[in-house]
Amino acid sequence: MSFSSLDFYLATVVVIFGVDVLSAWGLNLQYGYAGIPNFSFIVFQAAGAYTAAILTLGPMTATSGQTYVAGTHVPFPVALLAAMAAGAALSAVIGVFAMKRMRADYQAAILLILALILNQFIVTDTSLFNGTSGLANVSRPLGSLVNPSTTGWQWAYAALVWAICAVVLFAVQRLSRSSWGRALRAQRDHDAAAAALGCNVVALKMQVFVIGGAIAGLSGGLLVFYLQAFNTASWGYEETLAIFVSILIGGVANNWGVILGTFLVQIVFVEVPNLLPQFGYIGLVDALEWVVIGLLWMAAIALRPQGVIPERRVRAERFGLPALRRAPPVAAAAAAPGQQGAHEERLGAAGGASRR
Amino acid sequence: MSSVVVESIGFGIVDASIISIGAMGFSLQFGLTNVFNIAYGTVLTLGAFAAYLAEQWGVVGWYDVLIGAGVGVIATWLIGKGILATFARRNLGLFELITVSLAVELVVQYSVDAADGEQLFSYSFDQGRALRFLGMVFTVTEVEIIGVAVGAFVLLECLLRLTRTGKALRAVAEEPRLARACGIPTSRIVNVAWVLSGALAGVAGVVYIINSLTVSAFTGTDFLPLLLAAAILGRAGSVTGAVVASLAIGIATQLVAAVGGTGYSTIAGFGILVLVLLARPGGVTSGLALKTEVTL
Repeated sequence: MSFSSLDFYLATVVVIFGVDVLSAWGLNLQYGYAGIPNFSFIVFQAAGAYTAAILTLGPMTATSGQTYVAGTHVPFPVALLAAMAAGAALSAVIGVFAMKRMRADYQAAILLILALILNQFIVTDTSLFNGTSGLANVSRPLGSLVNPSTTGWQWAYAALVWAICAVVLFAVQRLSRSSWGRALRAQRDHDAAAAALGCNVVALKMQVFVIGGAIAGLSGGLLVFYLQAFNTASWGYEETLAIFVSILIGGVANNWGVILGTFLVQIVFVEVPNLLPQFGYIGLVDALEWVVIGLLWMAAIALRPQGVIPERRVRAERFGLPALRRAPPVAAAAAAPGQQGAHEERLGAAGGASRR
Repeated sequence: MSSVVVESIGFGIVDASIISIGAMGFSLQFGLTNVFNIAYGTVLTLGAFAAYLAEQWGVVGWYDVLIGAGVGVIATWLIGKGILATFARRNLGLFELITVSLAVELVVQYSVDAADGEQLFSYSFDQGRALRFLGMVFTVTEVEIIGVAVGAFVLLECLLRLTRTGKALRAVAEEPRLARACGIPTSRIVNVAWVLSGALAGVAGVVYIINSLTVSAFTGTDFLPLLLAAAILGRAGSVTGAVVASLAIGIATQLVAAVGGTGYSTIAGFGILVLVLLARPGGVTSGLALKTEVTL
């Protein structure tokens, strides 16, 4: 492998890593913090990717050789924002009926089947996004700043992707530590108790579903501008499972752990095998990769379901709530009799009141 | 137009026969264990591949169905008792168990895919001459497939209604804890359900390729949503319900295919499953009445 092709490959891995981390944070918000088994996550990434593609491909002409709807030219940042909006909008539509309270396995099955339906729909109706052939010739953005056919452009794009990652990380960390994030975790751990304390469980799930969908759409937009092409094979339901395994291995509800998990799964197990000399027929390595992902998944659930870097325990004092710590032993012993007496007195008074 | 509709109903009945064989098995399994076992689809694939290999070795015709049933029992036993029961002992929730079964499906499906070189294999089976009946067209083989489905249904119903084992199966499906308290050996009865559902899955896989004449690593997985829809629409644990729901789903998807093409019939089948899961009383509940206990 010559230096320039290695350089090209490295830049590609860095970009893909960034996009995968971004989508894993989106899914972690939904699954890790809120407990939503979103097996159709990849659909929202696809929504963002297709939206970004058609908004920059320009109107469809007879010579473009592909069929799609609503082609226009909009600036790159607008296309990215539209990709986010598309992911959020599709999430809102699906969330209306999939975020009801129901058995967790039914919810998972519904979302999984929805991913199959939507993929099959795009395959069947070729007028929307050109079916299985998909959209191609998406032009690389920011061509006026860096020559898009150089590895310099690739590295510049990688920097942009990671800059966006930094912003999203800041946002998801802030969200997960806010009172909203606390309510999210409360309903995940015990939805009846959270509802009794006044959390609107369905609304919370709906909100996090839409936010996660927006992050998925953003990651899809970033991906399509790098790959310049997108088709139905790019978003099979298995891709969601790979993101799930990244989260399970890295750390459920831990955004730093998710980076590690994504590196281990998406880079070490999915990207590095492409570097190895090809063996067997074409497609054998891909098939074996999915076997490994499935085995990793079972191993993760069996051995360490909380992930390599588990969720950090959140302490009540950090939120200015009264500390729940026990008093030191000596002080407790000294204070105990009086407290107990007071307690009994109060009980007695209450009993007297009720007797009267 | 009306002749198209009648013909579609004919095709739908054939489809429904294949769906119902698998759906009866899934209904028994899901009704008794309460595990949403997505790996059930790969058992179909394995059954179909067993029939294909048997044909390559010179075993042809309906003997393949028996071989498929045997392979289905072995595969289901390994998946159910070997993997799912091991995970269930760790007190995992319903969601963790569905993810484990999904992972099993991924592993088996892509192992088959890797071993067979990602090909579509063709199977040969004499379809016989065409018969006409009330405007519907069936081949001799299609009539025999309907016969297999009806036979499986009658045998299973006799087992459930007339024997003590059948009574115990129905009791465990209805209320596992009460059944155990009444002295029914729950785990042995669940084993019976695994064996029966495995045999039915294997038979469904073989019958599927006798009808479609092709098999690939993704055969069972592609067919699975229709089985799930029929089993859950017909109420988990109810064999009669599974058959009636299969008829509705088979005919509905064929009618959609006649109007909008085969791509949309797949979408319609999957769509029915989503609607069923959303509308099923056991599926969407107001909270406390969730049946969340797993019996393995």
